[in-house]
Amino acid sequence: MPSFLLRFAMCRPTHRSLWSGIALLLLMASNAAHAIPAYARQTGSACADCHAGAYGPQLTPYGMRFKLNGYTDTDGKGFKVPVSGQLTETHTAPARGNSTTNLTEGDLYLAGRLTDNLGGYVKIEADHTGHNTYNTKLSNVDLRFVAKELKMRGKDLTLGVSVNNSPGFQDPIAALPNAALIGPPGVTGTLLNPSSPNTLTDRVIGASVYGLYDSVWYGEVGTYKSLPTSQQDRLGYNINGDPGKLGDTGYFRFAYMKDLKRQFFSAGVVALTTKRQLPRSGPSDDLTDLGYDLTYQYLGNREHIVQASYVNIMERRHYGTRLLGPDGFVAPGRATVHDQTATLTYTFRQTYGVVLTHMLSTGPRDAVRYTPYGDPNATSNLITVFWAPFGKDDSYTTIANLKIAATWFRFTRFNGRYTNIFGAPPGALPTSAGDLNAFSVSASLAF
Amino acid sequence: MSKLFLGPSMRRIAAAGLFAGWMMASPLAAAGDPAAGADVYKSECAECHAVKEGRNKKGPSLFGIVGRKAGSVTDYNYSDALRKTTWVWTAEQLHTYLSQPAKQANPGTKMKYDGLSDAKDLDDLLSYLSTLH
Repeated sequence: MPSFLLRFAMCRPTHRSLWSGIALLLLMASNAAHAIPAYARQTGSACADCHAGAYGPQLTPYGMRFKLNGYTDTDGKGFKVPVSGQLTETHTAPARGNSTTNLTEGDLYLAGRLTDNLGGYVKIEADHTGHNTYNTKLSNVDLRFVAKELKMRGKDLTLGVSVNNSPGFQDPIAALPNAALIGPPGVTGTLLNPSSPNTLTDRVIGASVYGLYDSVWYGEVGTYKSLPTSQQDRLGYNINGDPGKLGDTGYFRFAYMKDLKRQFFSAGVVALTTKRQLPRSGPSDDLTDLGYDLTYQYLGNREHIVQASYVNIMERRHYGTRLLGPDGFVAPGRATVHDQTATLTYTFRQTYGVVLTHMLSTGPRDAVRYTPYGDPNATSNLITVFWAPFGKDDSYTTIANLKIAATWFRFTRFNGRYTNIFGAPPGALPTSAGDLNAFSVSASLAF
Repeated sequence: MSKLFLGPSMRRIAAAGLFAGWMMASPLAAAGDPAAGADVYKSECAECHAVKEGRNKKGPSLFGIVGRKAGSVTDYNYSDALRKTTWVWTAEQLHTYLSQPAKQANPGTKMKYDGLSDAKDLDDLLSYLSTLH
């Protein structure tokens, strides 16, 4: 997704028909499922026990604990096949361009426990790429070893190791961009944002050690390296989106989370630092993400659930080279950019819901890096209404799940402005930020 | 010696009579509000226990829990610690069990629960659980 975004952003207006792809890809991200029926079969639980809306992805505190326990919880009734699938049909109506209706995504999940201490989540995704063709890729991976029910100073302690391919995806609170599966789109963006150009998401491999102490204090330390471009290609990724070569990479996470049964809140900080060569033969940029996140959930008796989250990630950049612009301008050697996401979700009876997401991607003026206006700022919104009729204790079926969603994606600012965002010359048809908007209706079936 | 044989309908009536008698003799179950208890169940218990008969999650079904012998759901894999008890889940026994951490009440149990400290919530919950027959 992010690599497309960068390329499209740099496109000439003659390629504007491709811009609707930005919205489509975002819509697909918003429809991503985490309610895996294989987990329900394994635990005997309903999807709605782990997810506020019975199809996901918003996690309840119980779902967070399932993730922290390495996806290994079970109803004790022997081995269950840890395999699920998902099909998504989507009708998309972009603001500019033709409407389409396609089977947009087919997924295979290898998800569940191998032993009491080993479990995982692996998603293999086939995305519709037009003309009845699909691109298959290895999507999210999170393999875990966990030691449960330990004691330290009389308090509960859980320790685990996660091997994953997206920094932040493994986070239990699921507010960080890679865990929430969405981040602010734009022409600049942080390392932790899956919508950033040349994102790390799904193109790196890393390991982290995590611990949960006294059920409230969460800490994690890890490291990542990017996959070779040949391997990215084999895994289904266009090498134009290569995140570059990473060195001295460290991931740090610390959070306080409190489950009050009827309510839940958390506050956390996150950091990711690396030296990145992009392109791989080029100089090294020093990049450091520092972020914080706040979440609150009102769960009550699960009749009315309200979830709110805010994530603010600041990235400090020390560029390894000084770029020269065509007019002799020298680009700044340092910059600080921000990604901010605020999300509010209301769910009724874990069946009907509305999700409002406001996203900001901002950075300093830089006439060399951010053509045509030198302004990278982008503002966007995602509004989703969904219906998830199954996945509860009293549902007709517990082995399959369904979600029908209507989603409206809108840009109110791109490249720092609303009109003529790509700087079309006089006489050419300009593109406004609103031309990137799209409305979609999707039906997802998980089994 | 002659035996008393009851048909299915008579057995149901007899069971209902026994249950009604037990309810009347159980001030803990009668003290709470079952509707409020249903809400307590949803926030405190529902993630691990279903109320549907035969539906076991991480914990066994709570259908018929009040008056049931502990560790007696046939297709649920209990911990040895619970299986070894001679408890019957009377309202009094449930009150004792649920008012403290499960691992304190029954060391070695699989159940992870910190206990319900709010007395009204506990009375309401017990009242609701008593309706699950």
